[in-house]
Amino acid sequence: MSSDLDRQIEQLKRCEPLKESEVKALCLKAMEILVEESNVQRVDAPVTICGDIHGQFYDMKELFKVGGDCPKTNYLFLGDFVDRGFYSVETFLLLLALKVRYPDRITLIRGNHESRQITQVYGFYDECLRKYGSVNVWRYCTDIFDYLSLSALIENKIFSVHGGLSPAISTLDQIRTIDRKQEVPHDGAMCDLLWSDPEDIVDGWGLSPRGAGFLFGGSVVTSFNHSNNIDYICRAHQLVMEGYKWMFNNQIVTVWSAPNYCYRCGNVAAILELDANLNKQFRVFEAAPQESRGTPAKKPAPDYFL
Amino acid sequence: MDLEVDENDLKTAGAELFAEDGRRGIRISGWLIETRRHSILNSSTIQEWEQKLNTSHLPEMVFGENTLILRHLSSGTRIHFNAFDALCGWKQEALPPVEVPAAAKWKFRSKPSQQVILDYDYTFTTPYCGSGNIEIDKDVNEGEISKETSDILWEDCKDQIDVAALASKEPILFYDEVVLYEDELADNGVSLLTVKVRVMPSSWFLLLRFWLRVDGVLIRLRETRMHCVFSGNRSPIILRESCWRESTFQALSAQEHPFDSGAYGDPSFISQKLPIIMHTTKKLVISS
Repeated sequence: MSSDLDRQIEQLKRCEPLKESEVKALCLKAMEILVEESNVQRVDAPVTICGDIHGQFYDMKELFKVGGDCPKTNYLFLGDFVDRGFYSVETFLLLLALKVRYPDRITLIRGNHESRQITQVYGFYDECLRKYGSVNVWRYCTDIFDYLSLSALIENKIFSVHGGLSPAISTLDQIRTIDRKQEVPHDGAMCDLLWSDPEDIVDGWGLSPRGAGFLFGGSVVTSFNHSNNIDYICRAHQLVMEGYKWMFNNQIVTVWSAPNYCYRCGNVAAILELDANLNKQFRVFEAAPQESRGTPAKKPAPDYFL
Repeated sequence: MDLEVDENDLKTAGAELFAEDGRRGIRISGWLIETRRHSILNSSTIQEWEQKLNTSHLPEMVFGENTLILRHLSSGTRIHFNAFDALCGWKQEALPPVEVPAAAKWKFRSKPSQQVILDYDYTFTTPYCGSGNIEIDKDVNEGEISKETSDILWEDCKDQIDVAALASKEPILFYDEVVLYEDELADNGVSLLTVKVRVMPSSWFLLLRFWLRVDGVLIRLRETRMHCVFSGNRSPIILRESCWRESTFQALSAQEHPFDSGAYGDPSFISQKLPIIMHTTKKLVISS
């Protein structure tokens, strides 16, 4: 079985998607592993924390060059594997195959894009349809999304989540009681963990001008960290030109791992390496060079726009 | 975006392409037309802009140094497009925020004890239709040159851009598109301001487009087109047409158009489905 899986991993590393039947089998195996994980999954150090990838497969390969291969390096990915980039299928399947092969050396938690609704708008759905001619692979993958854990706790000291905090959550035990095996809801604690953002200009809680979506200020983070006895929060979810950004006196850090986001922003990306003593080192990296990407840049046809 | 251009077409038109350090462009018929493309603003520049614009919110991706500049050399007339001026327009227009569909549910959520409700226009809607001025070198005294800048004056007019002429497949000698700013509305849609230009042997044509989709709520398209026919030694005239279109998802689905956001990815395909809410035509006569 593991030789089959090893072959699939090698294939995915070349950015070649699996057969539909292989995806189905892989997802079934992944489900058995993920269902056992806690909503606050325990992670041991040393570990390397990665933020959003968004289907930028060749840039994720740069990430592994900088951070080392799994299983030699222990990884924690903070979600948003899919959408926006060209290779959501290969990106997510490679991470999932690594999870099945080395369950204790890679942790995947859920981002707000790991959702049926969001992927239908931002690319993953269309990509599955284009690459497989049917939406079955999208179904298998989105079913797996429901099993992904919601957060991770590294050595009881660093809380990791995709988005941020929720006014409905003051202790980690409250997160542990969420029934996560569902589509990401539009409101409530689970939604907040995947969607909310830290915000400089509010001290307590803020409501987005969209009428949905919480923003949290420094005092919210201070009291959460204090009551849960953690050093800081590590999250992703927001593009940072410099790859990572501390806020509120180093009580929360955003890590962003999609360099040259959407193939045009020109930003660098970062991963956060923690050693056995939780010493931090940010490793900053750039997008994969054009020639290492599968498809050469084509000369566009003249655009007679009106 | 590098386009395959026939050297002979360039030669016949008396045009010359250039490219250096993120600048690309063309010299043609007394015009210098160029685009510049760079990364999004870094965190410290964002702070500077926030101060200058007196705001604590900017689009997630501000391509602050991206620009399209069209310079008429003999008159010093300069038409250009940049994110900063567009965001000044956003600040000034200051539309009230649009609620997303989930907001209805959120009204029934238990609220944290202290909560600030932010109320800026997160869609970054702007009335921007380009910037422009005239820069003239003035010989102040004995060889000392100072630049004198004056505003350009767009006049109302009844003329329309000659779409038929633009639809003809004249060779395109230069083409580029630059993004000025972009925001994903925290995955509730898209707000995107871009400008693209094409230069043919007989004219240049550009399209500035603000494209907004608030998923499940609203689609807004504000477009400004400019067209300038090369006119030899006569004073060139630039025609400018601005057209604003807007519709709610509700109104679209009432007309049997799809309701899901996935169907509204490309503004070019759906613009005709959106009712026009504002249309103006102006012209600029450049006196050499």
